[in-house]
Amino acid sequence: MRTVPRAWWCLAPLVAAPLAAVLLAPALTAAQPRAIPQPATAPAAASAAAGRCGVCHPAERVLFDKSGHAQEAVHCTSCHGGNDRSVDLAVAHGAGFRGRPSRRDIPGLCASCHSNEDRMRAYNLPVDQYALYQTSGHGRRLAKGDLSVAVCSDCHGAHDILPPSDPASRVFELNIPKTCGTCHGDSATMKARNRPDVFRQYMSSIHAHQLFDQGNRRSPTCVSCHGVHGAAPPAVGDVGKVCGQCHTAERRYFVAGPHRDGLLRAGRSECASCHGDHGIEGARPQRLSTLCAQCHGAGSSQAALGGALWTEYRGAAQEIDKAVALIDRAEAVPIQTEDYRARLEEARTYLREALPAAHSVQRETVEGFTLRARSVSSEIEHEIYAKLGNLRTRKFVLLVFWFYVLVTIVVLRRFRDRGARVK
Amino acid sequence: MSDPGRDDPATPSRNGWVGWLEKRLNLTEIFSFLTHFGLVYAPVDTTRPVREVVRELGNQPVPSYTRGPRVLGLLAAILFALQGITGVLLAYYYRPTPEAAFESTRTIVRDLPAGWFIHQMHHWGAYLLVAIVALRLIRFFWDGLYRAPREVLWWSAVIMAWLVVQLDFTGRLLVWDSRSYWSTVRGLEVVWAVPIVGPVLAFFLGGRVVNEDVLIRFYVLHLLVLPALYLAFLYFTFATLRRVGLSTAGATPAGPTTTFRRHLYSMLILSVLVFAVIVTLAMLLPFRFLGAADPYATPHGIRPPWYMLAPYALLQKSSMPAWLSGAGLLAAGLGLLLLPLWTRREQGWTSPQRMRLWGVIALGIWVALSAAGLLIDRLQVPR
Repeated sequence: MRTVPRAWWCLAPLVAAPLAAVLLAPALTAAQPRAIPQPATAPAAASAAAGRCGVCHPAERVLFDKSGHAQEAVHCTSCHGGNDRSVDLAVAHGAGFRGRPSRRDIPGLCASCHSNEDRMRAYNLPVDQYALYQTSGHGRRLAKGDLSVAVCSDCHGAHDILPPSDPASRVFELNIPKTCGTCHGDSATMKARNRPDVFRQYMSSIHAHQLFDQGNRRSPTCVSCHGVHGAAPPAVGDVGKVCGQCHTAERRYFVAGPHRDGLLRAGRSECASCHGDHGIEGARPQRLSTLCAQCHGAGSSQAALGGALWTEYRGAAQEIDKAVALIDRAEAVPIQTEDYRARLEEARTYLREALPAAHSVQRETVEGFTLRARSVSSEIEHEIYAKLGNLRTRKFVLLVFWFYVLVTIVVLRRFRDRGARVK
Repeated sequence: MSDPGRDDPATPSRNGWVGWLEKRLNLTEIFSFLTHFGLVYAPVDTTRPVREVVRELGNQPVPSYTRGPRVLGLLAAILFALQGITGVLLAYYYRPTPEAAFESTRTIVRDLPAGWFIHQMHHWGAYLLVAIVALRLIRFFWDGLYRAPREVLWWSAVIMAWLVVQLDFTGRLLVWDSRSYWSTVRGLEVVWAVPIVGPVLAFFLGGRVVNEDVLIRFYVLHLLVLPALYLAFLYFTFATLRRVGLSTAGATPAGPTTTFRRHLYSMLILSVLVFAVIVTLAMLLPFRFLGAADPYATPHGIRPPWYMLAPYALLQKSSMPAWLSGAGLLAAGLGLLLLPLWTRREQGWTSPQRMRLWGVIALGIWVALSAAGLLIDRLQVPR
């Protein structure tokens, strides 16, 4: 009998070998270096759009083949001239060869197609870019001979031009600040021209935060305020109009208030005087209490009004917070709260509207909203307290209930003991 | 003995409505049905009128169940009946799908008259039932009631305790609020980690992911399978009791101490008291009702149910390999079941006195592990 275990041990390697193979197989295959994925065929030196230019200019050809132009029968020769059917330098760079267009000529060169309505109609593209460009700060400086200002290729690229809808494009909405920042974020260049570094200011602003961090695509980029091809700083009197495109309520109240005329008379811009321009911060209602004193002086009646507006706003916000806490408490009981939540949104809307209304710097206008927000919140609180009060009556009912329980028990005990006595 | 009414159904009876029924139904036979549920321990003569039988039985000496440690079994039975009543009322409005479960529970709790109250009573009843069944098991162990000839009673008590725990575990998911959902997720993790038995059990519970499959299975188990099994074991307990007799251990002296009639009244008083206590707890200390379950957001501080804290600490939070702690749990469960088989000798380390000591040590370990399971998540820094 003792040989049997030995016989089993002899068989062990037979079992272990396939087992080990099964266990180790994944490890072995994983140890082999993975093949780097290769495209099926190497790119041909010639392509339909670039002709044979790519034989000598492969880097440019690769960029150009990805562009929107390559799909639309625009060839290298369309901009550079020459002959793309030949690799013979004398023929290729022969008759009509333009070489690299000078910066001064680039806008005109692009405009030769892009200002042609017959050519652009099929793409539903505007044809006024060149005219707009000539009115822009860039265009006017170029006309004066300043060759360092932006031309078409600085924003759109030279060979790799992509439509603005393509996320890889330099002029895609989210890439615009970076594209403008190539020059306007270059501190050395801007300092030499006595210009502020607006790119960094913008990137610290609430607008950039909304656009990049919150994904709010309605938040403005550079072109939303300055224009696209006709890019220029808005005039002092126009800042309010620019901001008012989106901030309609603020502008409506502001125009109705006393500040607009006063600021214009003083030659100061409407919105930027308090909010700044590129580095605009998010709305902080508590600034109502400090901002007025900056122009009007501490102790002035205007500073006192600012303080009063802030007190109004804060009071209403606190009332809403109290209502929220009560609703949460009621929900855990639970008490029906959907209706309260909906009404709370109403109160929040009133409170939110108090901030644009503050641009009118009129106490009655602001109070029209804060008082409504307060009254809705306190109504909610009142009703919830009434329902929570019902819980107190429950406890009173409990006392009555225990009285009857004890009476029942006493009666039952008497029945029990009477039976015992009868026996 | 000679009742003229029994011979001639046409003559008016002196016995009122009982006599009226007596002529048309064999009430005594129906009454004898009670003997199956342990209320009556004397043989019932089904040929005699029910009044006589009841009067006679009322003066029969019966063991007092309403005092001393025996009250635990009676309490469990009363609570189970109460859970049945409140459970049926809740089931009238409950809909067991992930979309409707929370909505229907909220309707019960918030919109129906006294719905919150029934819900809270069911919740508190479950809490107390688990606690009382656990105490009953501890009492059985302490008094050595697992020794011959009471092995079958002990097994039945262990299985009933397990059934109650399963009832609680399946029931808490049905609410489908964020706490019940995530504590079930944690609980299922524990179930999965137990070797061999765990995956089989979890398969019957509906898998690893808590979804509509799990919900409907928990629903069927909670409403149908587990209560039916519990009732079957209740009957089994009484059938066994009638064969092996009542225990003589514990505070109550052996033999009958009261009459059947008094016993019935005492039971009624106890039921009223249990009802009153649960009503009070439901009113003064209602369980909080959280938002709907969200499978994509785990609320902070979610733990498995309290009776699963010890396995949770052992399986999920200890540095021991899972199979080892799982095997330990399995051994503990099997040991509880097999206890009567290896405690036959009166001497040595399995003697009754020693067993008490082992029991106290085991309970201490369990409590310590539960405390660890409770605290370990609180001490952890939320990531």
